[in-house]
Amino acid sequence: MARAFRRRGSGDRLRFVADLDADEREVVASLMEQVRGILEPPDAADHGDDEFAGIVAGLGIGRGDPLAAHHGDDVASDRDADEGRDPALDRLLPTANREDERAASEFRRLTEPGLRQRKAKALDAAVAVLQGDDRVELDPDSARSFLTALTDVRLVLGERLQLRADQDLELLERLVRSLDPEDPVVHVVALYDFLTWLQESLTSALLGD
Amino acid sequence: MSLAPTTEEVVSPEGDVAPDVPWVTIVWNDPVNLMSYVTYVLQSHFGYSRRKAEKLMMRVHTEGRAVVANGPREAMEADTEALHGYGLWATFQKDS
Repeated sequence: MARAFRRRGSGDRLRFVADLDADEREVVASLMEQVRGILEPPDAADHGDDEFAGIVAGLGIGRGDPLAAHHGDDVASDRDADEGRDPALDRLLPTANREDERAASEFRRLTEPGLRQRKAKALDAAVAVLQGDDRVELDPDSARSFLTALTDVRLVLGERLQLRADQDLELLERLVRSLDPEDPVVHVVALYDFLTWLQESLTSALLGD
Repeated sequence: MSLAPTTEEVVSPEGDVAPDVPWVTIVWNDPVNLMSYVTYVLQSHFGYSRRKAEKLMMRVHTEGRAVVANGPREAMEADTEALHGYGLWATFQKDS
């Protein structure tokens, strides 16, 4: 049974500690590896997206829209217009200027390789930690890097779950209560909630709450 | 933003970002990032006080966006890049 992050010690010995069993660590690490795949530069072997699609397909939600009834046709047509680039990548590396397309693409050209690299590094470090013991113990630097890795996974899952507005998660959770507990969407929403809980605890611990 | 346990009422305008500098960095609301996390990022990256960071976070949450910094273009681009590193939905633009 998981136990959320909390502070231990102080000064040089300050640590952020959580307890996660092997299954929990494995599923989080696996999601982190999939996100890392999405972040592979486009000229590298273009399999990251497929891998994530694979796991998501394995979970049964694909790129469909679990809130389709709520979103209507707009979301679907937005998606169709945006072929090529995985929409999850646009959450990880969003457009930096909404008024000036040239400035946005110049910014992307200059910053994207470094951002991809730094995010990948944080994800790798988090995966390495999760391959250790049930007792997850992070020094402040590792805690900050673990926190951004959790964020990136939640951004991608949120995109796959088609969360577009603040109330969407609540709608989805209501929907989930009416679904068969074996439905893969139920599983993905539970994963998302688990990651939220974990991230909330680490954030609070870092803020010193 | 997602709900978080700490949502203190913030009404005072003090500590606002000065409006007369030509470029701004904006953080946009999104349904994934936690309110506590946005506060944490604004404190960590900009060195803002908890009070100021929470005030800006609440503005993002309630108004959909907030100017979180202003200054020369290069600095706003650097802020935007850093905020993308944290997973926030940030943009830079000329102040209008």
